[in-house]
Amino acid sequence: MTSSEHIPQAARQMTDDSYLLEVKNLRKHFPITAGILARLKGYTRAADDVSFYIRQGETLGLVGESGCGKTTVGRCVVRAYKPTAGEILYRRADGSVVDLAQIRGREVRTYRKDIRFIFQDPYAALNPRMTVFDLISEVLAVNHIGTRAERVDQVESLLKRVGMRPEYMRRYPHAFSGGERQRISIARALITNPRLVVCDEAVSALDVSVRVQILNLLEELQADFDLTYLFISHDLSVIRHICDRVNVMYVGKLVETAEATELYTQPKHPYAEALMSAVPVHDPVLRDSQHRIRLEGEIADPSNPPSGCYFHPRCRYAQPRCSTEEPALHDLGNGHFAACHFAEELNLQGVRMG
Amino acid sequence: MTTEAKNEAQDISEEGGVDLAAEIPVMGEAAERFAMAPQWQLMWWKFRRHRLALVSLVVIIILYTVAIFAGFFAPKSADPTELQTPSYTPPGYAHQTEYINAPPMPIHWIDNGTFAPYVYAFKKTRDPKTLVETFVATDTKIRLGFFVPGDRYTVGFSSVPVCPPEWSENAICKLIDPVLGFVKTLAFTADIHLFGPINPEDPFYPAGADDVGRDVFSRLIYASQVSLSVGLVGVFLSLLLGIFLGGLSGLVGGWVDNLIQRTIEVLRAIPDIPLWMALAIAMPPRLDPVYVYFGVTIILSLLRWTDLARVVRGKFLSLREDDFVTAAELDGVPRGRIIMRHMVPSFMSHIIAQMTLSIPGMILGESALSFLGVGLRPPVVSWGVMLNKAIDVVVVINKPWLLLPGLAIFVTILAFNFLGDGLRDAADPYHV
Amino acid sequence: MADTLIDVKDLRIHFFTDEGVVRAVGGVDLAITRGKTLALVGESGCGKSVACRALLNIVHRPGKIVSGEIIFHRMFHQSSGSGSDASVDIAELNPKGREIRDIRGKEIAMIFQEPMTSFSSMYTIGNQIMENILLHTNLSKQEARILTIELLDKVGIPKPSRLIDEYPFRLSGGMRQRAMIAMALSCSPTLLIADEPTTALDVTTQANILDLMQNLQKQYEMTLLFITHDLGVVAEIADEVAVMYLGKIIEKSDVFTLFNSPAHPYTQALLKSVPKIAMTREALDPIKGMVPNPYSRPSGCPFHPRCPKAFAACKTIVPKTTSLGLHHTVQCLLYEDVTERQATEALS
Repeated sequence: MTSSEHIPQAARQMTDDSYLLEVKNLRKHFPITAGILARLKGYTRAADDVSFYIRQGETLGLVGESGCGKTTVGRCVVRAYKPTAGEILYRRADGSVVDLAQIRGREVRTYRKDIRFIFQDPYAALNPRMTVFDLISEVLAVNHIGTRAERVDQVESLLKRVGMRPEYMRRYPHAFSGGERQRISIARALITNPRLVVCDEAVSALDVSVRVQILNLLEELQADFDLTYLFISHDLSVIRHICDRVNVMYVGKLVETAEATELYTQPKHPYAEALMSAVPVHDPVLRDSQHRIRLEGEIADPSNPPSGCYFHPRCRYAQPRCSTEEPALHDLGNGHFAACHFAEELNLQGVRMG
Repeated sequence: MTTEAKNEAQDISEEGGVDLAAEIPVMGEAAERFAMAPQWQLMWWKFRRHRLALVSLVVIIILYTVAIFAGFFAPKSADPTELQTPSYTPPGYAHQTEYINAPPMPIHWIDNGTFAPYVYAFKKTRDPKTLVETFVATDTKIRLGFFVPGDRYTVGFSSVPVCPPEWSENAICKLIDPVLGFVKTLAFTADIHLFGPINPEDPFYPAGADDVGRDVFSRLIYASQVSLSVGLVGVFLSLLLGIFLGGLSGLVGGWVDNLIQRTIEVLRAIPDIPLWMALAIAMPPRLDPVYVYFGVTIILSLLRWTDLARVVRGKFLSLREDDFVTAAELDGVPRGRIIMRHMVPSFMSHIIAQMTLSIPGMILGESALSFLGVGLRPPVVSWGVMLNKAIDVVVVINKPWLLLPGLAIFVTILAFNFLGDGLRDAADPYHV
Repeated sequence: MADTLIDVKDLRIHFFTDEGVVRAVGGVDLAITRGKTLALVGESGCGKSVACRALLNIVHRPGKIVSGEIIFHRMFHQSSGSGSDASVDIAELNPKGREIRDIRGKEIAMIFQEPMTSFSSMYTIGNQIMENILLHTNLSKQEARILTIELLDKVGIPKPSRLIDEYPFRLSGGMRQRAMIAMALSCSPTLLIADEPTTALDVTTQANILDLMQNLQKQYEMTLLFITHDLGVVAEIADEVAVMYLGKIIEKSDVFTLFNSPAHPYTQALLKSVPKIAMTREALDPIKGMVPNPYSRPSGCPFHPRCPKAFAACKTIVPKTTSLGLHHTVQCLLYEDVTERQATEALS
């Protein structure tokens, strides 16, 4: 791993000019402690050597099962967590590049306006003791942006934009349903005119009929406000619906990344294949006709992962090499990367289009 | 509002491109009030449903009102030898010596078909054989009335002493003396009582007399001043300690947290009563009673802050992980503002409930110390001091009315516990 | 009907809260066919969970079964064949009585969304499964233990003889759900009610659990009542589907008909609005609006404020159950003769 401490901020470069964000070798390890004296027992490798990029204006999906580290990656990007190691390169509006992993304190706060976060649970993310206006505008107030009257105007127009009545800003969150609260959360994220929004399971807690309303709203807002999304979800159907490109994570590692349609139709990593095969198909006619792949065993423990490829104990294509040698994420062409020794050889089954 | 709302909904949907028509629930006035209700409003609505707590709240308000205006509600003064200026002898105790250990006088409300309350005067007789003293009612009616003149009393802190002369150079004394002086100016004196004998010199013992002929009922009321305030002052002090140390523990963490938590565990392992006794005995015996009172309260709170500190710490720890706190952090809200604006308001109500539940412990502590004779001492009257007279079983059998302070303690504690329960249930109005 | 296991007739469950009465289940008719899998689909708050709890008569205060019948056609293995006279109305039974306790866990078993909350963390998995066996059978402790190990093996728990002595918190979510299924199966129930059993699980685990449940259903010849909000799961597992909206079953049919030619506008909209994996990136049609507040239910058809096909009569007339085919019923005025309804309504 390259030590980035010595590179002056101004000299940082991204691989491509179209990138808004580039994450390089991101690691986040949580210490495991025990006993009264908090002795260190080991580390949970929530994110381990994760590298990816997001182009300006696109939606990147981050998909994986619970405990795969996708939320940790999202929280590192918004700097809710300080990464253990690695770089998070962000292109400012003026074109210069800054490493978000290195900055601290007051400096982080200057990027809080640019990179926003939408939580999974709209019930938990809104302080029930504050009015909708206070919730949405607090970020402006603490950063001394605008007068109160201007903030009221801004909140008003944004509430309208997310499909809520402006008078609602005098209400408290308890008066709203899950879908409405998520609209408030979206307004809160967008009030600063951000450039990147990290949506962490933003629609997972919502009812089926409301979920699509919010997804459509997010897509409309992306076009209107020229937003870039990092969309984190465990739901492959939602990811399919909203994302341009998709990253698949397994036990803290990125195992595959590709353009969405390509990933869904021609997966190159056996885990991605199994994941997609497990999603129920919305057609009873197809239910017995398809060959379903079933994964045996449990997800590996990120504090004590298996040797070699983390997926090998559950992989049906595993070879002896897989248990000893860790596969690197390598280029398969066309922006398709997979971390499997046999990515080129295997002929994996994708989603059958209905 | 229906059509108007629909129209506006249409406007918005055209403007924003989001379909809203069905989204606008037509809200009634009640729903509108609910939507705009801040935390305290919601808590009150939830608390209101807790009948027992509501009754307890009323009981507690009555108790404290009586305590504040004790002189008005008590028919007599607490102690004829105490409190008053030397030139003034309270008329209410003209018959004091004749009524030593007298039992309660039953009150008759109706005389000859009209409302005219009275009691019969007692006469002391001695059984010729057993030589036991007994009181028998005579034919003399003592007329009672409302708003009658009687012993002079003061409302407010007129008797708060200035610092003892030997401490006059003390910095704290210099600071608080002017405050005490101001407090004293708020006090006023009067001699009208809610209920009592029309002739202020007549004897009146609705709850019997003690071993020096003082009215137990009046003393019970005066005693509530001390007993009820010990709880409040003590809890206030332990709240300060608890919030400060608990907050430090929860926010700083690390070895600070470890140190405070271990201290709490050690403190909790010490049995209360022996430690109180040791501390109480350590207090200089000739201190002014008021300072003894504060001394006892501080002793009580020094041992009782641990519960509150744990609650505060626990709340800080769990809130730190809460999404809305992370959300505030991601809004760039400074740390101090996150604590004061997001964290503290969300557990303040829990703290208040916890405080209410720890007041009974304070009251019981004071009573226990005074009962054992190591807390407050006469001439201060508290329920514990009064109960100290009932320490002997023989006394209890012969003069059961001396146990009345026990009943007062019981009612107060129960009321605080019920109130605390109700507050705890209402403390988090956002979860059902 | 001989092949009906449970016949629910006009079931109404109300919740009496301080804010008012919530009609959680407002007149449900539902026949569960023996040996089939019936999926009950609906959004949160539609009353599907409450309705299923009523089948075990576990509706807790402030909820109450206000009216209706739940006829359970019991079949005893010893009485050869027809057990037609052994039917019992579950709604009538004392919720704490002996009879219903005999049914619960033995003839009708239930598994929940979060298995952690249905297991006590104080006892081992084995203890809790064995307790259910000992309660409902005459087996000895030793036999019960052997049976428990067999069951754990059957639900795919590795090394069952060791895991039987583990505490629930030591197992992963998927394993706990398997253990929960083992417990439900311990007395070979005739009906297994599964309340969102896979919602808290990951997709890969969900797929395994669904497979397991289907296999076990065949093996045990069980009837399965599957409650879910996920139409994908429905397509995967169901024989018949009942769609619930605001306390009513608005459509019921076999799974193929429902997915191919849904009749009710709600079902149609629901199917159209769900993102599917086998689909290119295209805009989906959401159902407008939200599920109404439980205290202020719409008049007439409960779906009319959100319905794209609503017409004037929908606001006032409550649709009746209309039959569209052999096993296809719907509650929608589109399939009723509205003028006739209006006439009868006007008369009364």
